[in-house]
Amino acid sequence: MGKRLCVVGLSLCLFFLPFIAIGAEPIKVGIVLPLTGDQAKFGEIEKQSFDLAFEEINNAGGVNGRPIQALIEDDTGRPEVGRSVVEKLITKDKVVMVGGGYSSSVTYAVAGVCQQNQIPFLINTGSADEITAQGWDYVFRLNQPASEYASGMESLLTEVVKPKSVAILHENSLFGTSSAKSFEATAKKLNIEVVMKEGYEHGGIDFKPVLIKVKDKNPDLLYMVSYVMDAALLMKQSMELKLTPKLFVGGAAGFTLPEFVQNAGKASEKVISATLWHQVLPYPGAKEYYEKFVKKYNKDTEYHGAQAYAAAYVIADVLKRAKSLKPADIKEALSQTNMMTVFGPVRFISYGKMINQNKLPTYVVQWIDGKLELVWPKDLATKPLVYPVNWLKEWGYQ
Amino acid sequence: MLVFIQTIASGILIGGVYALIGLGMTLIMGVMGIINLAHGQLMMVAMYITFVLFTHLGLDPYICIFITMPSLFLLGIVIQKYLLNPLIKVESILPENQVLMTVGIGMVLTEIARFIFTSNYVSIKTPYAAKAIFLKNISLNLPMCIAFLIAVFFTLLLFWFLLKTDTGRAIRATAQDKEAALLMGINTPRITYLTFGIGSALVALAGTILLPIYYLFPDIGGPFTLKAFVITILGGLGSTIGAIVGGVILGIAESLGATYVAMGYREAIGFVIFVLVLIFLPGGLKSITKV
Amino acid sequence: MKSVKIILLAIFFVIFPLIVRSDYYLHLMIIAFMWVTIGTAWNLLAGYTGQVSFGHAIFFGTGAYTAGLLASKLYISAWWGMLLGGPCAMLIAAFVGWVCFRLRGPYFALATLAGGEIIRLVAVNWESLTKGMVGILLMPSFKSKLPYYYIALGIAILAMLKVHLLMRSKYGYWFLAIREDQDAAEAMGINTTLYKNISLLVSAFFTGTAGAFYTNYMGFIDPSVVFSLHYISIMTILVVIVGGVATRFGPAIGAFIMVGVQELFRSSIFGLAPKWVSQAHALVFGIIVVFVIMFMANGVVGDWHKISRVFKRAR
Repeated sequence: MGKRLCVVGLSLCLFFLPFIAIGAEPIKVGIVLPLTGDQAKFGEIEKQSFDLAFEEINNAGGVNGRPIQALIEDDTGRPEVGRSVVEKLITKDKVVMVGGGYSSSVTYAVAGVCQQNQIPFLINTGSADEITAQGWDYVFRLNQPASEYASGMESLLTEVVKPKSVAILHENSLFGTSSAKSFEATAKKLNIEVVMKEGYEHGGIDFKPVLIKVKDKNPDLLYMVSYVMDAALLMKQSMELKLTPKLFVGGAAGFTLPEFVQNAGKASEKVISATLWHQVLPYPGAKEYYEKFVKKYNKDTEYHGAQAYAAAYVIADVLKRAKSLKPADIKEALSQTNMMTVFGPVRFISYGKMINQNKLPTYVVQWIDGKLELVWPKDLATKPLVYPVNWLKEWGYQ
Repeated sequence: MLVFIQTIASGILIGGVYALIGLGMTLIMGVMGIINLAHGQLMMVAMYITFVLFTHLGLDPYICIFITMPSLFLLGIVIQKYLLNPLIKVESILPENQVLMTVGIGMVLTEIARFIFTSNYVSIKTPYAAKAIFLKNISLNLPMCIAFLIAVFFTLLLFWFLLKTDTGRAIRATAQDKEAALLMGINTPRITYLTFGIGSALVALAGTILLPIYYLFPDIGGPFTLKAFVITILGGLGSTIGAIVGGVILGIAESLGATYVAMGYREAIGFVIFVLVLIFLPGGLKSITKV
Repeated sequence: MKSVKIILLAIFFVIFPLIVRSDYYLHLMIIAFMWVTIGTAWNLLAGYTGQVSFGHAIFFGTGAYTAGLLASKLYISAWWGMLLGGPCAMLIAAFVGWVCFRLRGPYFALATLAGGEIIRLVAVNWESLTKGMVGILLMPSFKSKLPYYYIALGIAILAMLKVHLLMRSKYGYWFLAIREDQDAAEAMGINTTLYKNISLLVSAFFTGTAGAFYTNYMGFIDPSVVFSLHYISIMTILVVIVGGVATRFGPAIGAFIMVGVQELFRSSIFGLAPKWVSQAHALVFGIIVVFVIMFMANGVVGDWHKISRVFKRAR
C-alpha cells in the first residue's frame, strides 16, 4: 500500500513538474541605463533602486507567480550605443517591454527604436519634452518633462520673490537646452524679463566671463541648468565675483545632489532649486524607500533613485494587469495605469503636445546649513524658506 | 568697462595655467620634434596622485608638487626610453607613428585611471580655493594668482636653464641638429629622456596647482592637450617666453570670446587661432621676436 | 590576396544574412562595413598619399548632417542625403584642402584635428541650423536590417574598388610619389597640390557617404556623435593602423578587428565574463595601438610575415 502511494505520488509530481517549471519562468524586462561613462553615478543609483524594487516584487510572488527578470544594459551615456543595446534587448533577448532612460539624448534615440519595433517603453528619467511629443504611442513617461521642472517654483516666484528680471545659463546638451527654453517661456508668462540666456559646453574651468556679463546686467534671478560639477564651479565663481542677484535658482539635476554641497562648500548655502521628489513627501513608501536604500547600499539616494524604484512597481503592476504578454496588450495595460508609487501618483494622459505623460507637481528645495530642505509648497516644507538672503554675509565678506 | 577689465584679468590668470601646460609641450616638441598627444593625460596622472595624497594623507597640493613633479619626471623618462625612442628604428610607411604611439599611451593612461577611480568627478576642497583678492572692483581668484606667479617663475627658471647651464645648452644643441650634437659628444638619447622628463614634470606642476580650482575625471586630458598645442604653435616651438606669452594670449582671447561672442564658442577660439597661426605665422611668435 | 579568395569572400558576405538571421550580428556587420568604407577612404589620403588626417570626422559629420538636415528641415527623404552626402563632404574638403595643404606632415595632422573640433563646436552652437545638441532624430525607413546590410556592403565594396582602381592607374603613382618625397615629386613636374586635393576629395566623398548612411541607419545624430574627435577621427586612424596602412585590405581587416574587439568587451565577452570587463574595452584599444605601433607598424596585413613567423615558431 505504502509503495503504491509513493508511486502515485511520484507520478503526480512528475506530471505536474513541467507546469511548475513553466509557472516559474521569468518575464524578461529590458532596462537601459548609463552604467559606465560620466553619468555612471546616476545609472548606478537607478540600477540599485531597480534591483531593490524587483527583489521586493519577486519575493512577494512576482507577476502571477512568475518573477520579473530585469536585464539591465549599459548605454554608456551615448545615444548610438543606447540604440544598439535596446535593439539587442528587443531582438536577441526578446524582452516584453523596456524601462529606464536616463540622459535625454539617449532616451530619445531609444524611444525611437521602441516605437519602431512596437515594444512598450516606460521612461523614468529622460526629461526633454520632445520625447513624448512625437505621437509615439508605445512610449510612456513616468517623470515630469523638463519644461515642468520649474512649475513648483512659479508660485514661489509670484508670491514671495516677485523678480523682474532673470538671466539663464544652461549646459548645451539636450537637457540643458530644453530646460532653458522652457524656463524662458515660463518667465515670459510671469512677466519676468529674460536679460540673458546663454549655453556653455559642459566641462568649462572658467565661467567668470559669462558671470561678469550677468553681474553687469544685474538681474533679480540667476537661473542655472547644469550637471553637478559645473553647478559647483558656477556658484564658487559667483561667490568670487561677488555676484549677488536676489536669488540663485537651479533647475534640478546638479543642484540637488550631495556632491554639490560637497564641492561648492559655503557657495552652495541658501541656493534654491527645483526638484522632482524629496523623501519627506507624503507619498506612501517614500520615506521607507529612502531608509531601505540607505541601509542596503550605505549611501544617499535622491529623485533619480525614486523614479527607478517607482518605475519597477509600475512595470510589475502593468504586467499583472495585461491580458497577455503581447506588446499591444502591455501597451493597453500601461495606458490604463492608475496607481500610487513612492514617486507620486501615476496616470498617463495627454496634454499640450505630449501623450502618455504622467503629470506630477514639482517642488522647491533650498540648501540650509548644508542640508537639502524642502521649502515650497509651504504646507510640505521641512524648514521655512530663507529669503531674502544676504549673500555677502553668507559668503563671509561681511 | 568693468566687464572688459574683469574679462582681461580672468583671461590673464587662466593664461598662466595654460602657459605651464604649454611650457612642457613646447620643450618636447621644440627639442625632439615629438608631438605628444598624451600630454594632457600626463597632467591627469599628476592630478590623481595629488588627489590621493590629499584625501589620504591630507597633503596640501602645493606640497604635493614636490612629489608629483619627480614622479612624472620619471614616468616621462620611462615613456621616452621604452616606448618612443625605439620607434625611431622601426621601419614603417608613415612617419607619424610616434604621434599615434602617444595617442595609444594617452588612451592606456586614461583607461587605467578610469579603472582605478571610475569615471566619477572628484575634487579636493582647500580652504583657499575659492578665495578672491579684490583690486578695486576686480575679482582675482587667489589660487590662480599663485598659479600665474609659479608659471612665470618656472618660465624664467627654464629660460635660464636652457641658456646658461651645460645641460640646457646640450638640449638646445640636440634641438638644432641631433647628428651634429652627437658628433660633438653629446649623449643625445639621454638628452631626449631628460627633455621628455622635464616636459612631463612641468605639466605635472600645472596639474597639481590646477586641482584646487577645477575638478578631476579620467577624460580631463584631451582638451588640455589641444590647448597646449595652440600655445606651442602660437609661441613658437621651443620658446619658453613664447609659451607664457602664448598662454596669456590664449587665455585672454578665450575670455573675450566667451564674454563678447558666446560662451559656447569658447573652445573654438583656441582652434581658430591655431589654424590661423599655422597658416600665417608658422614659426609662431618666436619667429618675430627671435627668442 | 588572389582573385578566387576575394570572390569567395564576397559571396560569403552576400549570403551571410541569409544564414545568420540575428539582427544583433547583422548590426555588427553593418557597422563593420561602414568602418571599412571610412578606413579605406582615409587610407587613400594617408596611407597612399602620405597626408595623415586627424580630422576625418569633418567629412563624416558633413555627410551625416546633409542627410539629417534634408530630412528634418526640407522634409526630403534622408535617402537623397545618401547621394548628396558625398558631394557635400567634397565641398567642405575643397576648403579644408585649400587651408591645410600648405602645411606638411604633423602640422597638417594638427590642422585637420583643429578643423574637426571647430566644425564640431559650430554644429553644437549654431542651433538654428543644426538643432545643436538636441540632435536630429529620424525614423529609419526599413524595419528589417537587410536593406541596410546590402547598402553598407555595397558602399564598402565601391570604396575599395575605387581606391584599388585609382592606385592601379597613373594617379596611384602620383600619390605614392607625393608620399615618398613631396619636394622631389614637385621637382619632377608633378602638380602635388592638384593630386593631394584629388586624393582628399575622393577620400571625403566616401567618408561623407558613410556619414549619410549612418544617419539613415541609426536614425539619430548629434555633433558629439558624428563630429567626434575620439570616436570618429581617431577610430578611423586606429582601424587602418591596426589593419595595415597602405594596403588594399588592411582597412577592411582593421575595421572587423576593431568592431569585434569593441563589442566583445562591451558585452563582457557576450555576457560570459564578469561585468567589469565591459569597461576594459577602451583600455584594450589603447594597448592594441601601443603594441601594434611598436611591433607591427604596418598592421596585420603589412606585417603578416612577422605574425605568421610567430605562429610557425610556436609549433
